[in-house]
Amino acid sequence: LQVPGRLFSGPGRLSDCGGYQGNICRPLLQLNTTTHIRSICTSSLCSSQKSSLDPVTPSDPFQLVSTEMSTLYDDIKKELTTYGSVLRYMSHYYFDGQGKAFRPMVVLLMSRACNFHNGAAENSLALSSQRRISMIAEMIHTASLVHDDVIDEADTRRGKACVSNLHGQRKAILTGDYILTISSMALAAIGNKDVVILLSQVIEDLVRGEFMQLGTKEDEDERFAHYLKKTFKKTASLLAYSCRAVAVLSGSSKDVQEVAYQYGKNLGIAFQLVDDMLDFMSTEELMGKPTAADLKLGLATAPVLFAAEKYPELNAMIMRRFSEPGDVELAREAVTKTDSLQQSRILAEQYCREAVRQIQQLAPSPEREALVTLTQKVLNRKK
Amino acid sequence: MFSTPRLPPRTVLPTFLRLSDAFTSETARTTTTWTRRNIPDQVLAIPKPLEKLSRLPFNLANQRTASHFTSRDRMNSNPPLLGCKRSNGLTESVQRHAVSMWTSGRKTDWQKALSDAEKVVGYPTSFMSLRYLLSDELSNVAMHLRKLVGTKHPILKTARGFVYDGNNSMQTRGLLVLLVSKAAGPGGEWEEEEEEEEEEESNGRTMVSGIYRSQRSLAEITEMIHTAYLMHRGVVNLEEVTSADGTVGDMSFGNKMAVLSGDFLLANACTGLAQLRNTKVVEIVSSAIADMMEGSFLLEQDNQGVTFLPDKDWRIKDWTDHTFLCSGSLIAKSCQAAMMLAGHMMDVQKKAYNYGKHMALAHRLHADLLPFSDSSDPNMPFALTSAPLVLHMEHAGRAAVTDKITQVSDKSMKVDYKQLRLEVLSGPAVHAAKELCYDHAQRALAAVTVFQESEAKSALENMTRAVTRF
Repeated sequence: LQVPGRLFSGPGRLSDCGGYQGNICRPLLQLNTTTHIRSICTSSLCSSQKSSLDPVTPSDPFQLVSTEMSTLYDDIKKELTTYGSVLRYMSHYYFDGQGKAFRPMVVLLMSRACNFHNGAAENSLALSSQRRISMIAEMIHTASLVHDDVIDEADTRRGKACVSNLHGQRKAILTGDYILTISSMALAAIGNKDVVILLSQVIEDLVRGEFMQLGTKEDEDERFAHYLKKTFKKTASLLAYSCRAVAVLSGSSKDVQEVAYQYGKNLGIAFQLVDDMLDFMSTEELMGKPTAADLKLGLATAPVLFAAEKYPELNAMIMRRFSEPGDVELAREAVTKTDSLQQSRILAEQYCREAVRQIQQLAPSPEREALVTLTQKVLNRKK
Repeated sequence: MFSTPRLPPRTVLPTFLRLSDAFTSETARTTTTWTRRNIPDQVLAIPKPLEKLSRLPFNLANQRTASHFTSRDRMNSNPPLLGCKRSNGLTESVQRHAVSMWTSGRKTDWQKALSDAEKVVGYPTSFMSLRYLLSDELSNVAMHLRKLVGTKHPILKTARGFVYDGNNSMQTRGLLVLLVSKAAGPGGEWEEEEEEEEEEESNGRTMVSGIYRSQRSLAEITEMIHTAYLMHRGVVNLEEVTSADGTVGDMSFGNKMAVLSGDFLLANACTGLAQLRNTKVVEIVSSAIADMMEGSFLLEQDNQGVTFLPDKDWRIKDWTDHTFLCSGSLIAKSCQAAMMLAGHMMDVQKKAYNYGKHMALAHRLHADLLPFSDSSDPNMPFALTSAPLVLHMEHAGRAAVTDKITQVSDKSMKVDYKQLRLEVLSGPAVHAAKELCYDHAQRALAAVTVFQESEAKSALENMTRAVTRF
């Protein structure tokens, strides 16, 4: 296992990438000790255990929350009710049921896992406020996609034309604002001040992440930390804070809230690491978006940063954002020649392991197991 | 879900808002020679008493205010003397004296009202945007904007507006929120869970020169939202970019900057709102943003922000709805939210809402009327969806306007502004628009009668009056 040494140069390095002082570095240093979770279980965390520690049969994550998920898109469309036909068409465009709805699924599973941990009956559905959060998470995600597509001048998304290609960029941006605003109204309507603060942090992180993508760190040592921080803000923040929000709504203690947050954060970073790997591996048809897209946008993701360890000449290209002819091809080649994809995967696995370690602090339930299963699905996904 | 009423259809003024007999007789003297029909067109362009309705005293419950208004008419018919300061005299005689020497010119009126108002709230409102303008993110954008110099990307215009804004109207939204807050004063009891609130919350309840800290944040948020909206409305459609605008690459880069800076401001508005720790406020201010987005889908515009004539018949009711969605809603709902933050009851909230709404509409009408009173440049373009044009179409039919427009292509057109202006001036539309402006101003003034006399209240009234001077 060859991971850049600076990742482990000291505690607090990786925890930079979150708003909370997490203990993310610890599991990375003791990779194989995650099974003895019970020993660190505090009394408050384990007080409401009902089941024994018998292994729960692995459950299909999607199946478990299918009841809640079945109305997701209809609920979203109901929120986005407007008289303007163009605005309605554009704001409903991505809520066609073709998306993975990965975020709502995680949020709903986390809701039920927390509810059960806090004493709810087995198999009871997520609270309506928690279902709202899952809906809001999908809306925030979609709004940011709409804006990203204009910024990145993308043509296709999820296998169909970008919404920005339908009625021009201006309307696309305003549509994104509209979706975001409606989600903000739906959030406020839940009536919980703390939850509003948590999710507004996500919106800020998304923008700051986008700003971070504009610049490249000159210092090679800072580059990886910068990348991870950006990854947290652009991808993991939404999962982390919405998981925390549903934990809050479940009436959880601070410890449980933190578990939910850490799970979301680690899973989110792993998710993005895999996404960045797939950008080098997949074919266009499979992903529904062009490949090596990141390089073409001038972005250096984990595989390239790992490859630059072996090929220092990549550093100059990273600095000029692969702007010169041949840069993109050379960088791709460097990635395939080295084991940088393998290294990226190992890093993603570490984040997944930490997510598992976190979630296993909750009382065992089918939902908890589903969240564990989900980490494997994230690692093994092909699209 | 919290809801606030959409703009009601225009109705006849309630009796209490109409001219009393006493005032009719007094003001009649100055108007005998002017009736509605015999005013030559060019006269409309200069500040002269126009007709009875234009001199309606706005507020009969308040003698001082009313006298203020008669004085204004005298002032208007007198030659202006430059360099005289305006006095907020308390007796009518003092006021008449002062006002008779008052400098005329609409910019001065408005600017004076603004600078007086700034003093009332405690600091120049341009400070309101300073905090976010100095952020790393926006400084970064500003640096990148240099690449765009020479192109016609609208973000340059918006950015310039931060530094210098000819109409001084950039930050009036925040200013109105602060004034309404101060005029309303301390509110009733605070909602729930007072004991266990932390530091931040108590800060929100500290008053600095009569305004709660939370209300100042809200004013800043209102400005941020408005600026974000300007940024995002300035995103150009790349398909429509012509060589005169700049290269597609540059325009796309400008879009990127516009999207990011708008998003940055919106995100800051979002976190700022959340920190006010009042979900009703979050809801109502968010709904104002949604209104703005809905409003901007009602009309088509080109890359330079020129609005096209709508396909269907566009009546003044549509104009009012559209203007309310695009600019009135934010001001109205922010004013209402400021009342919520202070813990004022619903009736006070409604009045603040009404003030904001009608003030915004009156202000818009004032701006729409400017091209019809300023004859310096006969070819000066104006919005095809501005109130005088809409009213003219109601009066003379749509063809009267479309005759002056040559559709060059789907997304561009040529307008003979000179002819179109003369066409509009030949009808009653300019009058009707002024009437409408007075009508909204009266409603705004009627709304602030709920507040006790104060500097802040006078400032609100003065700003309203300033937009009714043509």
